[in-house]
Amino acid sequence: MSGEEVLKELIEEEIEAREIRRRMANWEFINRQPPRIREALVFYIEKGDIRLAARLAGLDLEDFRELLRKANIPVIV
Amino acid sequence: MSHRGYTIADTCFLIDWSKYRYRDILFKIFRTVFVPEEVLREIKSEDTITWISRELARDNLSLYTVSRFEIDEARRLIEISREKPHLPSIDLPEAICLVIGRTRGYVVLTENRGALYIPRSVDEYRDVVVWRSLELLVNAVLYSILKVDCGSPDTIFKEYMRDTLHLFPRKAHEEAVERVRRYCLERRF
Repeated sequence: MSGEEVLKELIEEEIEAREIRRRMANWEFINRQPPRIREALVFYIEKGDIRLAARLAGLDLEDFRELLRKANIPVIV
Repeated sequence: MSHRGYTIADTCFLIDWSKYRYRDILFKIFRTVFVPEEVLREIKSEDTITWISRELARDNLSLYTVSRFEIDEARRLIEISREKPHLPSIDLPEAICLVIGRTRGYVVLTENRGALYIPRSVDEYRDVVVWRSLELLVNAVLYSILKVDCGSPDTIFKEYMRDTLHLFPRKAHEEAVERVRRYCLERRF
């Protein structure tokens, strides 16, 4: 697979994943969170980078993963 | 009896897989699942720690102590990946798993998108076998470890997704269901 094909596949997958995360997310739950947590969840919905989002939230990776479940935000890989 | 030799698992894989109802099929596919110390340090929840501790006691899981060389190589891999702006980022724990996959020939278990794409993007890692849960489920079916309802070949994937709130990209998911469907057809003849 060429670099261009990898890039195309990555972009397509990320667009699809972002739409699903936005659609499935429990926005009521997200908007009730303290600002730091709320922004980290929104960042994850947009970027899908769990480690960076966890750091933004000030949480361990596993605690942030649990928070994603509570907010009904799927991990898509 | 295991079907594959050794594997090395990263944090994202373990914390999702530990929620899966048939999580112990992992130990029927692999002789030993190695967990780097750097990964173990990231595991915090009682449920996951309990599962990992029990499987360490049963010798299904084994701690992997990473060498100085492997850490240096992992940092170099992170630098290489940063030079490819299209690649999702990888961090030290999954980079370590990829280095061990390359140097020891272990299958790498990860749910990190960046790690998944490294073999297709970094030439010296092209032979590393990287599986996410999707490939693990398919192989569990192909090895007849996971019983599949051939009338509903998608059920095994749906169960995993329901247990973990981890979804698969549409195209990869469809290909996996098709592979299971072919397996069912091949078994009929």
